Amino acid sequence: VTTVLLLVVLACFAYLLLVYVTAIVFLLIGAFENAVRKHDADSDHFATLESSRFTIPVSVIVAAYNEEIVIESTVRSFLGFDYPEFEVVVVNDGSTDGTLARLVEAFDLSPYEVFARHIFETQPVRVIYRSPLHPNLVVVDKMNGGKADSWNAALNVTRYRYVCGVDADTVFDPKALLKAMRVAVNDPARIVGVTSQITTAREPERVLAQPVGSRQVERGLLAVYQHLDFARAFLSNRLAWSRHGFMLCSPGGFQIWRRDVLEEVGGYSTQFTCEDIELTFRIHERYRREGRPYEIRCLPDSVGITESPGDVGKLISQRERWQRVINETVMHYRRMWFNPRYGSVGMVGAPFYLLTEVLSPAIELLAVLSLAAAVALGIFDLQIFLVVFAAMAFVNAALTAGAILLDDLQSRLYRVRDLVRLLLWAPLDIVLYRPIITWAKLKGSWGFVRGDKSWDRFDRNVRPT
Amino acid sequence: VDALVLRVAIVVLSVAFGVWVALSVAIVLGRLRYERTRRRHTRPLSPRAAKRLVHRARSRPRTEWGRWRRLRALQRLEGAHHAAVPRLIRPVLDDPDPMIAAAAIRTLGDIGDDWAVDVLLDALRRGEKQRSRIASELERLAPLPAKKLVPLLHDWNPQVRFWGATLLRPYPDLGTETLIGLTWDSDPNVRAAAVETLGTRSGSAVGVALVARLDDSEWFVRVHAARAVGHVVGVDAAPSIVRLFADERWWVRTAAKDALRGMGVDAVPTLLSVLAHDDRFARNGAAEVLQDNGFVDFLVLDDPRSPLLARIYAAGGDRYRDAAEARAEAIPEEEVRVA
Repeated sequence: VTTVLLLVVLACFAYLLLVYVTAIVFLLIGAFENAVRKHDADSDHFATLESSRFTIPVSVIVAAYNEEIVIESTVRSFLGFDYPEFEVVVVNDGSTDGTLARLVEAFDLSPYEVFARHIFETQPVRVIYRSPLHPNLVVVDKMNGGKADSWNAALNVTRYRYVCGVDADTVFDPKALLKAMRVAVNDPARIVGVTSQITTAREPERVLAQPVGSRQVERGLLAVYQHLDFARAFLSNRLAWSRHGFMLCSPGGFQIWRRDVLEEVGGYSTQFTCEDIELTFRIHERYRREGRPYEIRCLPDSVGITESPGDVGKLISQRERWQRVINETVMHYRRMWFNPRYGSVGMVGAPFYLLTEVLSPAIELLAVLSLAAAVALGIFDLQIFLVVFAAMAFVNAALTAGAILLDDLQSRLYRVRDLVRLLLWAPLDIVLYRPIITWAKLKGSWGFVRGDKSWDRFDRNVRPT
Repeated sequence: VDALVLRVAIVVLSVAFGVWVALSVAIVLGRLRYERTRRRHTRPLSPRAAKRLVHRARSRPRTEWGRWRRLRALQRLEGAHHAAVPRLIRPVLDDPDPMIAAAAIRTLGDIGDDWAVDVLLDALRRGEKQRSRIASELERLAPLPAKKLVPLLHDWNPQVRFWGATLLRPYPDLGTETLIGLTWDSDPNVRAAAVETLGTRSGSAVGVALVARLDDSEWFVRVHAARAVGHVVGVDAAPSIVRLFADERWWVRTAAKDALRGMGVDAVPTLLSVLAHDDRFARNGAAEVLQDNGFVDFLVLDDPRSPLLARIYAAGGDRYRDAAEARAEAIPEEEVRVA
């Protein structure tokens, strides 16, 4: 028993070492990519792009289900994009609250019939609304069918060559679309998808209103740790993935796709719990299999803020769903694992997801149980355990500090005192935040095993009146 | 094993702690330094700094990072209006990395003189990529490149002719005759660009040339032709445009609807004439435009039982009628009386 336990503990250490080494390598690659993108952005003329008729028009699509609290401010944020030509298509996905009434009142909507194409089959559309105040706003009211179904309904009425899918709980910097589309304008034949960094806040509209350089990270540990979690995900991982051609998750909060690609792969799939990561995997799979040149790029610019769960219960519910969809997607595309035909996607990206996302809850649980048993049985000294734990905490903290550094070099958004706060809380992530995420991941993995595909969206945070 | 694990853990802890502290200090000091330098006005380039930058801009770096540094050096020299910039920028334009080449194009736009226009036009003729960025810069420099654009219309390369036709849009006095000729070009992209640019001009010869393109074999030429004819010929061309409501391509039908929408109520007689068309798309297209230009709302308020309204509803369908009635109900009684 002792030998087996020791071997299990050592195997967990080896896994941990592999994960940390990979994270460090990705962070270093991400740092290089961040610097290159900064050079590129600094040398661009946003004013020229903003007024040029050669800047490719974009259709912004939004799915809204029971978003009464946030919908007006988020749609205003979309309509406020500094971009030469764009339309906003909001799909009310059979909301049971006052989402539609709020939209009708705020934007003076009237019902109109639009004879659109039916490229994708969706739940029936009830009414299409237009606004005399905003000719580029279309609201589609349809029967409930989920986010993917709503985005497909939006695709049926959109007109432009690129489509930007955004969440109804996310507000954006007015330059968000321009910052992302700048890349596509340079090479539209190759760039099929673009995404960029988004951050979190309990009240995104309030945080976004604060000026650049003086922006605050919201009070409360949950807000701090979710902020750090997003920064690590984008700056420590996705920049590196993007650089080496295996950007496997364009988040639903902000994802730009070339429309013909979406049509070619069959639009958003309603067969999965969530649509964003699956679509990214599907596009990679198709293009790699057919050996066609393409690129899905992730940019370091912080372009928007999405609403974060305001309490632990909501956070667990959200992360549980994320874990389920990752498991569904990675297992569905298992033919890509370690398959050289899929290049870096098959040899690095998909295995990375398998090791660090799909298997991690089980390995983390095993590590905790075996370590506890090893300490209890006297195989491991408690002092050694604490030193190892402290080492893990500071490796995490160093990686987090790296992500904060990249973010600050790129955007210079937050006040110095908030940066210090983030840095000081980083080492305690492993004690205060990681256990919650691990628990959510375990629940998500169990849900996946049971075949659960429910959405369980968290209730929006209540705003002060 | 215990001793080994402990030793490794202590080493990892020391290194990680050190890195965390170093990065934290770098973040805070770097940010404070940035805040300080941001407030300071840009100082003129010293001769020594200029020499260093020229040296860097002249180098032939092999790495991507080195090539970006070369470009940044060039941009700083351009900001200081250094005389060596014209000599140094050409190799950067040919950089294999499209991002770096695009940045060089933007730098030429910043220079913005006759020489820069010539280099941009030369790059437009030679380049396989980035032509849209070159076009953006040339348009930014308007009206400086105006006369230099006309020769592009006669280029052997259809892509250059395409960009020549596209870029002439802001100059209504230039190249009209040649553009009319290009509506018959063998390359459909050139025809589309010529049609689009002629859509901002006037004259009967232009109108005749554009109407002829409504029957082009390529759908995207018909798209541009529908919009252009709507602008140039106006309501007289409505019967020609409305035919496109039955086109096989959705984009053409949409462009035709846009064109007729732009004519307002003047297009109503033409639209009414297709309500009984054999083609479903033609019928519902006509109903949609009648809805969008306010004619249906007028009928609903004026005479909700009119046979004409019933014909329009028949073309539009049930959801169309429901939407029209809902719009009418939303209008307050006083406003109806005023109307």
